[in-house]
Amino acid sequence: MTRLRIDANRCVGHGRCYELAPGLFADDEYGHGVVERENIDDADLSAARLAVDSCPEQAVLLEGS
Amino acid sequence: MDGQAGPDPQSIEYRRCAEPREYFARLRALGPVDTAEGFEGRVQVLTLAEGDRMLHDYELFSSEVAGAQPGRPRMIPLQVDPPEHSRYRRLLDPVFAPRSVALLEPDVTSLTNDLIDRFYVKGECDFSEELSVPLPSAIFLRLFGLPIDGLDDFLALKNNIMRAPGQNEQERAAVRGRAARQVRDLFSTVIDERSRQPQDDLITRLINFEVDGDKLTKEEALDICALLLLAGLDTVSISLQCMLYHLATHPADRQTLARDPALAPKVVEELLRWETPVQGVTRVSTRETEVGGCPFPAGTQFQVLLASINTDPGTVPGYDGLALTRGDKRHFAFGGGVHRCLGSHLARLELRTVLREWHRRIPEYAVKPGAEISWNGAMLRGIDHLPLVWEVR
Repeated sequence: MTRLRIDANRCVGHGRCYELAPGLFADDEYGHGVVERENIDDADLSAARLAVDSCPEQAVLLEGS
Repeated sequence: MDGQAGPDPQSIEYRRCAEPREYFARLRALGPVDTAEGFEGRVQVLTLAEGDRMLHDYELFSSEVAGAQPGRPRMIPLQVDPPEHSRYRRLLDPVFAPRSVALLEPDVTSLTNDLIDRFYVKGECDFSEELSVPLPSAIFLRLFGLPIDGLDDFLALKNNIMRAPGQNEQERAAVRGRAARQVRDLFSTVIDERSRQPQDDLITRLINFEVDGDKLTKEEALDICALLLLAGLDTVSISLQCMLYHLATHPADRQTLARDPALAPKVVEELLRWETPVQGVTRVSTRETEVGGCPFPAGTQFQVLLASINTDPGTVPGYDGLALTRGDKRHFAFGGGVHRCLGSHLARLELRTVLREWHRRIPEYAVKPGAEISWNGAMLRGIDHLPLVWEVR
């Protein structure tokens, strides 16, 4: 199982993750990203990778295998 | 028209605007920093490795940049470092978060169409003067609950601050200072009115928003209003100019968007990266340090060239090419780190709305035959006059 995480110390609210992968992330009132679904299965992997790759701060992390 | 001659097309400033990708590729081949060609003598930082480090190390690379022009108000929170900066962003981020900004979408759409209505039947317009410049100001007035019939006066005031006319710096500073005071008086009056009688507008939210009992003072609110004016209007205008010029001169890209205007969000994202209209942001070193292997003294002014980072194949392979409808590439068009553009989500809404509505109504258009296109030669790269023509249907 792969775990999805946002490093809150790095997130500054670019808003890319919840726009590009809305099923996996949501926005908080500051516009920062929040993980909606922590455990990612294969079907969600490409959406999760999209969020990882598009985050300018590299705040979105995929952990495990 | 500002009455000043455009920049020399052979100059560095002009080429950096007109051919940014070629310009920065040439400099990057020489090294990660350039000390020869920077705006007002600033060191140009060209690569992600160095730029990213500078945007995130706010203790070593401060945003409290000296050299703001006389007569211009202090820019909160843009020119303030943490921890003071964090307090402002805690109060301001919710006001400019995507979910707050989304409430403005109907207004942005109708203001865009109102402006297009004014010139559509002529079959031509100066896109810069007739849409890209008035739209952000019209939205600004709407945000602040100010009457739209004040738009022309407001544009004149804004112009006197951003590009004050005058024979010399002393005259320009006087014009700028006078206009800045007029704007401050205008906002001051509105703040007092909203304090007495709250409305459903941005200025009411600014003065009422609280975090843990903390709220902005009137002076701070006034400074922030000034920042929104200085940083939030021309940036959107030049971004629109860069984007429409690209689409007007690249038929395949134009047709892709015209066939499906709903692609606008993706197209905006990729063109923000490719064009990077705000080419760079400034930082000043607080002590002696090395950047790109070169030693620099404390007090050195650096320009982190977002435009270079965004199109460097060394940032991500393929970044030296355009993929119009992907819109998923990591980019720094709104800066990075704690100073990520406060208005980025509002800017996105405006850019997406214009691209969508324009191509819905005017799917085919071109730069007016014979028109000379002149880039402004500025760090905020744009085109002061962009004449476009189309067939009225």
